[in-house]
Amino acid sequence: MLVKIPPTSVIVTFAIVLVALVSKSDAQVDFVRDIIPIFQTHCYECHGPEKQKSGYRLDVREVALKGGDNGEAAIVPNQSANSPVFRFVSGEDEESLMPPKDSGKRRLNSDEVAKVKAWLDQGAIWPDSHSGQKRQASTHWSLQPIKMPNVTKEAENPVDGFVRAKLLESNLAPTPEADRKTLIRRISFDLVGLPPSPDEIEAFVSDRSPNAYENLVDRLLASSHYGERWGRHWLDIARYTESQGFEYDRLRDNAWHYRDYVIKSFNEDKPYDQFMREQIAGDVLEPVTSDGIVATSLLVCGPWDQAGNGQSNKTQRAITREDELEDMIGVVGQSFLGLTINCARCHAHKFDPIPHEEYYRIKSVFEGVKHGERSIATAEETRLRNQRQKELESAIDTASQIVSSIEAAGAEQVLAKRPKATPELGPIPFAKWTFDGTPIEVMPGELKGGAAVRKLDNERGVLQLPKEGAFFQTAKLTKDIREKTLEAWVSLASLDQGGGAAISIEGGNGRVFDAIVFGEQQPKKWTSGSEGFARTKPFDAPEEAASANTFVHVAIVYASDNSITMYRNGELYGKPYTPKTQLQTFEAGDAHVLLGYRHSGGGRPWLTGEIKQAALYDRALSHAEVTKSYRAGGMSVTRSESLASLSPDQAGRHAAALAEIQRNKKLLSDLPKPPVSYAGVRIQPPNTMRLKRGDVNSPDEEVTPGGLSAVFELEQDFGLKADAPEKDRRLKFAEWLSDARNPLPARVMANRVWHLHFGQGLVGTPNDFGVSGDRPSHPELLDWLAAKLIESGWSVKALHKLIVMSATYRQGSAFNESAARVDSDNRLLWRHAPHRLEAEAVRDAILVASGQLNAVGGGPSFRPFTTTEFNATFYTPIDRPEPEFNRRTVYRINVNSGKDPLLDSFDCPDPSVKTPRRGVTTTPLQALELMNNSFIQRQANHLAERAMRSAKNEIGSAIVAAYQMTIGRNPKDEELKRAMLVAKERGLVSVCWALFNSTEFIYVQ
Amino acid sequence: MSSSHELLPNLGTNENTPLPRRHFLWHSGGGLGAIALAWMLNRDRLYASSSDSRSAIAPHFAPKAKRVVQVFCAGGVSHLDTFDYKPELEKMDGKSLEGKGENLGFFGQPGRLMKSVYGFKQHGKSGAWVSDLLPKLSQCVDDVCFIKSMVAKSNNHTPAAFQMNSGFTLNGFPCMGSWLSYGLGTENENLPAFVVLPDPRGLPAGGSINWTSGFLPANHQGVAFRTQSNEPVPDLQTPKNVTASARMADMQLLAAMNREFADGHPGDSAFNARLRSYELAAQMQASIPEATDLSMETAATQQMYGLDEPANKGFARNCLTARRLLERGVRFVQILNGGSFGSPRINWDGHENVKENHDTQALTMDKPVAALIQDLKQRGMFEDTLFVWTTEFGRSPTTQGIGAPGRDHHPTAFTCFLAGAGVKKGIEYGSSDEIGYFAAENKVTIPDFHATILHLLGLNHEKLTFYHNGINRRLTDVHGQVIQGILT
Repeated sequence: MLVKIPPTSVIVTFAIVLVALVSKSDAQVDFVRDIIPIFQTHCYECHGPEKQKSGYRLDVREVALKGGDNGEAAIVPNQSANSPVFRFVSGEDEESLMPPKDSGKRRLNSDEVAKVKAWLDQGAIWPDSHSGQKRQASTHWSLQPIKMPNVTKEAENPVDGFVRAKLLESNLAPTPEADRKTLIRRISFDLVGLPPSPDEIEAFVSDRSPNAYENLVDRLLASSHYGERWGRHWLDIARYTESQGFEYDRLRDNAWHYRDYVIKSFNEDKPYDQFMREQIAGDVLEPVTSDGIVATSLLVCGPWDQAGNGQSNKTQRAITREDELEDMIGVVGQSFLGLTINCARCHAHKFDPIPHEEYYRIKSVFEGVKHGERSIATAEETRLRNQRQKELESAIDTASQIVSSIEAAGAEQVLAKRPKATPELGPIPFAKWTFDGTPIEVMPGELKGGAAVRKLDNERGVLQLPKEGAFFQTAKLTKDIREKTLEAWVSLASLDQGGGAAISIEGGNGRVFDAIVFGEQQPKKWTSGSEGFARTKPFDAPEEAASANTFVHVAIVYASDNSITMYRNGELYGKPYTPKTQLQTFEAGDAHVLLGYRHSGGGRPWLTGEIKQAALYDRALSHAEVTKSYRAGGMSVTRSESLASLSPDQAGRHAAALAEIQRNKKLLSDLPKPPVSYAGVRIQPPNTMRLKRGDVNSPDEEVTPGGLSAVFELEQDFGLKADAPEKDRRLKFAEWLSDARNPLPARVMANRVWHLHFGQGLVGTPNDFGVSGDRPSHPELLDWLAAKLIESGWSVKALHKLIVMSATYRQGSAFNESAARVDSDNRLLWRHAPHRLEAEAVRDAILVASGQLNAVGGGPSFRPFTTTEFNATFYTPIDRPEPEFNRRTVYRINVNSGKDPLLDSFDCPDPSVKTPRRGVTTTPLQALELMNNSFIQRQANHLAERAMRSAKNEIGSAIVAAYQMTIGRNPKDEELKRAMLVAKERGLVSVCWALFNSTEFIYVQ
Repeated sequence: MSSSHELLPNLGTNENTPLPRRHFLWHSGGGLGAIALAWMLNRDRLYASSSDSRSAIAPHFAPKAKRVVQVFCAGGVSHLDTFDYKPELEKMDGKSLEGKGENLGFFGQPGRLMKSVYGFKQHGKSGAWVSDLLPKLSQCVDDVCFIKSMVAKSNNHTPAAFQMNSGFTLNGFPCMGSWLSYGLGTENENLPAFVVLPDPRGLPAGGSINWTSGFLPANHQGVAFRTQSNEPVPDLQTPKNVTASARMADMQLLAAMNREFADGHPGDSAFNARLRSYELAAQMQASIPEATDLSMETAATQQMYGLDEPANKGFARNCLTARRLLERGVRFVQILNGGSFGSPRINWDGHENVKENHDTQALTMDKPVAALIQDLKQRGMFEDTLFVWTTEFGRSPTTQGIGAPGRDHHPTAFTCFLAGAGVKKGIEYGSSDEIGYFAAENKVTIPDFHATILHLLGLNHEKLTFYHNGINRRLTDVHGQVIQGILT
């Protein structure tokens, strides 16, 4: 209906409304489906959980009926004309018509008014499940406790009992069992995602044992390919991606651990309740294992907006974070509970009994989870590694101190030989830059962007940095620098400038740096700059007041204990501090020093003014040494002078200490890197507030972590305070979720397994067991399967077996016109409907047929594309013949924007979408892929060669072999004859190509 | 569950098998995938009754437009330096901005107000103000309807571009073209319903995420044409080592095998759909190269678009290709102007220096887009084609940093324009405040914008839905009001 109610033409509109009412009032109105959304859109803002204008609210049945402050009953069942509610939404009086004109809200359209009227006149039926009073057991089917139904016929597989009973009600009969060739092809694809080999087919067909089929099922369930098949199904649900999505779509090199964890869990038949708990809280479930940590990747393996998280606007940043949390809550709610909790972010769920506040109680559970890589080593492994690392680092520090002290002694020896009038000298720097015309040793450099040297007189000169863009850049470091001191004499052109650095040491072309920065976070103050402020904190010192053209001596010491200390004119500048991130090592051959420039690629990184002298020390100077250097004006003995003055004993100890450093550095770099994975990082979050209308700038009351009140059998409250440790929140939630009294997870999982065996679930909406989802076609069967799942100790493999051993599963796929007339969707399961192979199964089956499948499982994903990096990552798919690229498709890296045209055409889902059931389309683009894709061409050639080999080059037998390898049967005589003609004329490869393109290959019956 | 039944095509009933039409939809369990299969089936003549020759799915009501072409200028075109003339900003040039609340920029470096870096003049009978940046588009003002009160949700390129294209700021939601393909099908089964023409200079950030069908079936996905390549669609051409005659013979073998299989399994219509998909694929192998072959165009036309001018960087080819695709019945053509990252920048993201940046970008965009508008008009295609010009957000009236010549992102006011079928000509709708900071009069949100486009195509945005994970999803989420004021 297009009728709108413009406020200026109420009378005209009203007439239209009346017409609409007459025609619409017959239909049965459902309160939950039809009326709540109307109230939600138009009324709740002022008469709902947040506000109750005139003391009236429409979300709680009792109040809604009784009326508000004026004492009049607002709803009179069966009498719309006498119900004030109806007058308010449909009346003619502009002043009393709701929502009020100035509220900015749209008024009800004629369709909506008609629905409200019909609802009132049909008795204003308002079910208990939505009465709005808390802790009222919902009447919704999926929230009822699971009851093990009575199974009457003992001999029969109960699955068949339930299915046949329903078929009988519609006078339908099941289809007779499929033949063995069909059966083995079906069950192989179903359980392991791969076709059976000709030998396996032959063995099964000729197996006379009464347990032949059961043995086959057991063999397949025990295969490691089973986990690859069912793991992939789970990854669809988990919206597993290996790149960020959004603007940068950067690769996640270490996300694949989760894929392996899922595959392993299915292969090991990990109890499903444990599988759930681990994915919520595996990183804190004792004893903590690497697998447990990896399991929690579920929470973060969706897309992540790096740009949105990094931007300056606070509101937008907060929205980005709320979107992230909605994604987490969405995946948890839909995957395990089959509930769209995420729909309650802005208001109470429109259909399901999930109040607004409960979204925030669950948000509080996950509020401490953020995106990112973390170590997946166990605490003990980490402790041992850290201990070893500390030992080596401290050995290096000790040896470095020996080197320094010997060099200092050498300097003293040099001084002792000089005339007595020599002024005080400072410590020996690793490298020093003066602009007096003397050659720069160790690390010479270049003037850039208008930087110049100004001669003061014959002996003295300064580096001039007259404008933004001017700086001095040195050659690359000749040794690794860990402990360090940066020092400079600098005069600032203006104290109003900000963001430039006197001296900076940077690695990775600006990716990491330590620098003496002026006025960046706080105006007129010096700080220790670093990438993304990783090691930066205010020193809490006074503002710089030196007038222009006055040189100030600044020095920052980065010590091996990770402390950072700054000095100004030889005095301590503010307070030293220890950053959370560790001391940065700058590597020889990569890092260099910059004067007047914070780091490459930063915004506004230039300092304007002059620098008289600067130095880099490869150790932490003491306060006394810094003061000495300041007083000495940077005068020092050179290192080569010092070394030349060493006694043989000193020189020997010096060399030995250097060798010790070298040796320990090697050991340090050989330490295995701690394994990391994209399992998310944890923070202790601020207390969670309910956000009115989901608006980040409208926080309301504080909430505590909790579950859903709709799960009536369980205590909703976790007994945790709003500031409870984040791990306790997830532990409690995991417990609540996997409690066998929670009726949803077992039903949801039983339905998923059923759905993936039959192509449709008993509930057609696997991620939505709520009010707007589907109703089960066989409620008792679903409950029986769910009860059995729990009873078996949550064994998914046992569940598979119950299903695939049934006659229902084993029946044939033949179409039956009369059955289709009654049940065209086959929901009653009068046959096993054929289904098309999924994208992965198509590709994998081709590789099996061609003999090219590389069965190596696990580990980093293969990457069939080239990437271009320009701030973002761009992917260009390529087709490569190497074995690495012939692994099963589940090991293909799952990136958001690097889609493969072949897989794409077979409905491979967008990785960022939670996909409980895949689309099945038949398109010309799909045909083009199978016709022309180079992968198909290559595999057709391989298949032809393989078939010829196996047939000892006899063309007829080769054709038979090719048929068996692809569609699992022998060609009929006419088929063979035709194929022989083709093969003779154009080669066997033409036949192989046609087989890969054939409907019979792409479909399982 | 099923998704909006009203959109199911009327497949008609085959006289020989008088089964209810739902029987064709067994394949996906009668649920979501039914629509997908329907896409194939409803243009499968085998299943269409003789009286039903429609190849498209019915709209909700009589449409004004049958197809859409959208130019999307990536990076954020400055409304203040193109179409939104602000004399007041001229007066306030160099002053501080006060009283507008939290800084909206992405980089958070507040600067001072800056007047347009271009002069403005009035053009055409309508007297619309356009800056000197766009000499060709300024000649089109009498044919278009400017919306000067656009508002986006995000100040961040990708979420904002996602919102403009899919209605949502997140990954994984179907784009407008996918919704139209889903809602209306295609007019020409030999070409995809939704074609994207990426800028030859580079893909937008997020690459193919920008034309995803999200949770809609994959056949509604945008097909990105590589217009600079001789194979516009991957795997379109028969491999070089296979001769045409051999391929023909192979196709005959395949058809025979698939026909036998389908005949052996009567009632399962998907098997017939597969046969048909190969026929269509073969037709596409001819129709796509034909549609993208610009040598068929006259020299005058080529010149009008500026095909031979290096300044347009290949973008002109895409504009002309778009017209050819529209003529051939493609439902939705999206032309991307600008990529994502480059040095110098290859889109409209003028952070450092808005004049330098926009000068460069306009050289690429102005002439070919103006030519496309003129060409559509002169060929009478505006009768049933909607032209849409968009960007993801505007640019700030202040500079980015004091004394700097660039402008940061600005989502709370910007300009887009529409032209063609069903849209009033030579008008302006809505306005921004005196300095172009906030939308002031007749604010238009992106859901409003999308609702209006769907309306022009005969679709009620509240009824074009697809059930996904608990929600009947819409392009317009739970928002959107058709902008009545711009409709003819």
